[in-house]
Amino acid sequence: MKDYLATIVKNEKIAENIHAVTFALDEDIKVRCGQFGNISVGGVHLLRRPIAICKVEGREVTFCYQIKGDGTKKLKDMEAGTRLSVLMPLGNGFFVEEEEQKIALVGGGVGVFPLISVLREYYGKKHISAYIGYRNKAAVCGVDEFGKADTFIAVTDDGSYGEKMNAVQAFEKALLAGNRPDVVLACGPTPMLRALKGVAERENLSCYVSLEERMGCGIGACLVCVCDLTDGKKARVCKDGPVFNASEVVL
Amino acid sequence: MANLSVNLCGITLKNPVIAASGTFGFGREFHELYDIGQIGGVSTKGMTLDPRLGNPVPRIAESRGVILNAVGLQNPGVEHFIQEDLEWLKSTGTCVIANVAGKTLEDYEKICARLDGLVDMIELNISCPNVKSGGMAFGIKPETVEEVTARAKSGAKHTPLIVKLSPNVENIANNALSAERGGADCVSLINTLTGMAIDIERRRPIIANNTGGVSGAGVKPIAVRMTYEVAQAVKIPVIGMGGITCAEDAIEFLMAGATAVQVGTANFTDPYAMPKIIKDLNDWCDKHGVAELSSLTGTLQLNGK
Repeated sequence: MKDYLATIVKNEKIAENIHAVTFALDEDIKVRCGQFGNISVGGVHLLRRPIAICKVEGREVTFCYQIKGDGTKKLKDMEAGTRLSVLMPLGNGFFVEEEEQKIALVGGGVGVFPLISVLREYYGKKHISAYIGYRNKAAVCGVDEFGKADTFIAVTDDGSYGEKMNAVQAFEKALLAGNRPDVVLACGPTPMLRALKGVAERENLSCYVSLEERMGCGIGACLVCVCDLTDGKKARVCKDGPVFNASEVVL
Repeated sequence: MANLSVNLCGITLKNPVIAASGTFGFGREFHELYDIGQIGGVSTKGMTLDPRLGNPVPRIAESRGVILNAVGLQNPGVEHFIQEDLEWLKSTGTCVIANVAGKTLEDYEKICARLDGLVDMIELNISCPNVKSGGMAFGIKPETVEEVTARAKSGAKHTPLIVKLSPNVENIANNALSAERGGADCVSLINTLTGMAIDIERRRPIIANNTGGVSGAGVKPIAVRMTYEVAQAVKIPVIGMGGITCAEDAIEFLMAGATAVQVGTANFTDPYAMPKIIKDLNDWCDKHGVAELSSLTGTLQLNGK
């Protein structure tokens, strides 16, 4: 973890309301898939924006983000050459055990981007199936990346791209067809993760979910971004997570 | 090189910059970024006798120039701190200030007695705006400020006691005087101002607790004014805080009458905020021919006087 002074080299729209920003660093960085960065947009915005790292190529790091509030609106308008402080890499990230050969990625909404980092890390090393849900055709993105998976099923809420269903339903359909993974890695809206956790419990599947929460420091000191664990304790999403074993976290 | 050290109730801090409670945990996470031994002091996460799980999420929101938080005193309990963190935190070389809260007068006395002699200073949180049982009941009225300070002091017999004052009161200087009468060795201010931020799409407050404590750059002028008023009223030393982002901000508080300062929200904006402030305090002193930073305390002259 380090606060990098990073230079924007590209910042462009990739889907409806979704932008991708690529930063160039002055030095190498080692990132595990599923980790995130805390981006300072400066000015009146005192909190940084915690955003999942989507890909790392050499000294270039790409984040994909949804335009949601003031801060991401400001980030969207920043041009190449702008320098921002980015504290990264943060959080634990996704780990896949040696014996887990078949990975299923289940993602929805902006949750698809950390999964791209998983795909890139394990591409060619594991058998990867991706079940990705989008709101509609305009929201579809990351197809070039997910297209590299051994199986890629894209679905939409309204059926305007792929079948009309959500990512969890697409995953269940694959399960019924006999495509059982060794581990499920997921990121997306909480209701989606909750449904997936139900499926994983029913099917006795190992399942890890990446959570999102409003954050303060981003490094585990302020106890702002906590989640409930099934043992009654609290965990810090930024430091103990953002990836949790689905069976250990209350969704 | 200017001398940045300050004397707070007989304790020497290598510089007047203290991490504000709740923004710095027990120091371990920030120590991954830099040596926290260079910081003048660390006021720990607010602790209670028993562990607390805190409020539901979301616990934080942002508004221009400020943030709001309502963590609700989540903490592992004072025994956990003593067993797991205290020795390590002392070993870093920073001044260890235990921030404590309670539900009852007895809680305050007990927790202070437990920490007495173990830490460098104790800071009494009687002004947490986010927890009904977080001592706020004691922090509003001057009479109860005096009462809770006296009880805490009877626990903290050998350890300097700082009383952290709430700005959400009628007259903060009166409350500071009450703390002084109750036996406080020092006062710190301001705790957060109670506020609300609304998600207009959902027509609901962003923070689960509905209201939260406002902090950050935007509150600084209020905090400076209150620091001045309190420093004018009491004889004990004052620790100023509220929106300090840079060395110049810290100097404002010193001139207003503070002996030391705390930095909170700025640690979120820039995790290196405190080491930078310390370095810049030295540069400012050198540039202005100030040999002893502590000589700036209380040097404010009002206009027209």
